[in-house]
Amino acid sequence: MTFSMKRVMAIFQKDMKDLYKNMYVSSTILMPLIFAFFYGRMDDLTVEVHFVVINLTLAIVTAFLQCSIIAEEKEKNTLRGLMLSPATIPEILGGKSLVTFILTAITIILCTMLTGYEPTNIGIIAIAIVISSLFYIALGTLMGLISRTVIEASVLILPVMFIFGFGSMFVPFAEQYPILSVIDYLPNIQLVELAAAVEAGSGFGDVLGNLGIIVAWVIIGMIATVIVFKKRELDE
Amino acid sequence: MENIIEVKSLAKIFGNKAALEDVSFQVEKGETFGFLGPSGSGKTTTIKILTGQLLQTSGDATVFNLPVTSLNKPSYRKRIGVITDNSGLYQRLSIYDNLKLYCDLYDVPTKRIDEVLEMVNLTEDTKKVVSKLSKGMLQRVTLARAFLHEPELLFLDEPTSALDPVNSKHIHDGLRKLNEKGTTIFLTTHDMSEAESLCKRVAFLHKGKIQLLDEPKVLRRQFSDSSVTVELKDGRELNLPGGSKGANEIYKYLSTDQVVSIHSNEPTLGDIFVEVTGRELV
Ligand SMILES: Nc1ncnc2c1ncn2[C@@H]1O[C@H](COP(=O)(O)OP(=O)(O)OP(=O)(O)O)[C@@H](O)[C@H]1O
Ligand SMILES: [Mg+2]
Repeated sequence: MTFSMKRVMAIFQKDMKDLYKNMYVSSTILMPLIFAFFYGRMDDLTVEVHFVVINLTLAIVTAFLQCSIIAEEKEKNTLRGLMLSPATIPEILGGKSLVTFILTAITIILCTMLTGYEPTNIGIIAIAIVISSLFYIALGTLMGLISRTVIEASVLILPVMFIFGFGSMFVPFAEQYPILSVIDYLPNIQLVELAAAVEAGSGFGDVLGNLGIIVAWVIIGMIATVIVFKKRELDE
Repeated sequence: MENIIEVKSLAKIFGNKAALEDVSFQVEKGETFGFLGPSGSGKTTTIKILTGQLLQTSGDATVFNLPVTSLNKPSYRKRIGVITDNSGLYQRLSIYDNLKLYCDLYDVPTKRIDEVLEMVNLTEDTKKVVSKLSKGMLQRVTLARAFLHEPELLFLDEPTSALDPVNSKHIHDGLRKLNEKGTTIFLTTHDMSEAESLCKRVAFLHKGKIQLLDEPKVLRRQFSDSSVTVELKDGRELNLPGGSKGANEIYKYLSTDQVVSIHSNEPTLGDIFVEVTGRELV
């Protein structure tokens, strides 16, 4: 198996140029920024509020971006050309994931500047967000493999936005309805819990449980992606 | 002569309908091979199987002496170029940026872009955004992209179907140059004169099988009844048998200065196809 960084970067540059001109997809970046702007005008934000914006970014920027740039390659028949070229699937997905990762990082940094979030331990928070973003990239890849068009991608993103973007709103109900307690194990809720613990003075060792659950989600997401990919490899 | 493609008893069944039943042929290294057949006869299907985009139902197909299913390594991909009816371009990017991506993927220097755009007569339009191009221009960009890495083997599925005669000729010249430099070309077309002028050998695909396969001029001779048509000054057109039987009569008209023109009735590839398949090539 060869893996060429040059080809990854070729895909990366192409997708960056393309997104720059793709208003429909790139304007989704504005949504969390708008939220962040309005939250930022309020005083004394809790860590939960900061993470509403961050989780929203992960759901609609990270997952949606990745999903729609993969779906569009299928919709416009450009994926065929890439597959017939020396580029391999890991290289193609690598280039796209890099685009998504960098745009996610920029958006989150801008959001935290707007909301004025200054974590007590920036190292732990950064690691947790990076690991979380891997999960959302895997989720976006999975949805991208399933959807055939950008419009389908836009529909698929709705439940993702609902569950992962606004999931923390359902946490209070979990106490009333025990069946909803599974929500606690979602990666977005784990991320908020972790951040709250860090704010309360926890160190790296104290949040390993939360990180472990998020890592488990990354692994599940990657395995699911590989399975779906293998199933669809020789279609038509 | 070394074979670059070998196909034996190839069959492809979609659902319960056979697109290819029993197809066998070889393509020699260095030749331009024409793959002709009516719409829906399975030309594109064959190209897809040979380039690993589709799995055959049965039969063997090898390219570079390797089963087509094992050709997905980058090192083999570099040796092959493919254009099919669904070769997409990035609509929001310029012609240059589309080609730049493929230069990087194939490890070709970007100065090659000017050369291939010259081959397809698009040197003036480098900066144009693809979404603003006409159908024929799109087809030429796709061709340029396939020429970038000077592949050893080039599959072209109806490369000039959207082009005017001037651009078709320009592309034909480019294809001949590529061929002279060593590229083997596997070409499908509905344009019989294109097949005749470019291809060393042609195959007729019909009803899931190869019905004929030879050099165009051999086929034309084989299907010729050697008759001639004589046009006379009084407006009559006579169809005369070839050989000594017709010669006397032709001499008679010639010596009395009645002849406007004489044509031998060699069939075109299109005529031969109609005769073999009993239907028009569309
Ligand atoms: N993915 C597919 N699923 C089902 N049937 C298919 C598929 N692809 C092709 N076919 C069928 O296989 C047959 C051959 O199609 P193919 O596209 O190879 O024809 P073709 O010779 O390239 O025609 P044309 O000259 O119009 O391009 C057709 O009957 C077509 O309907
Ligand atoms: Mg076809």
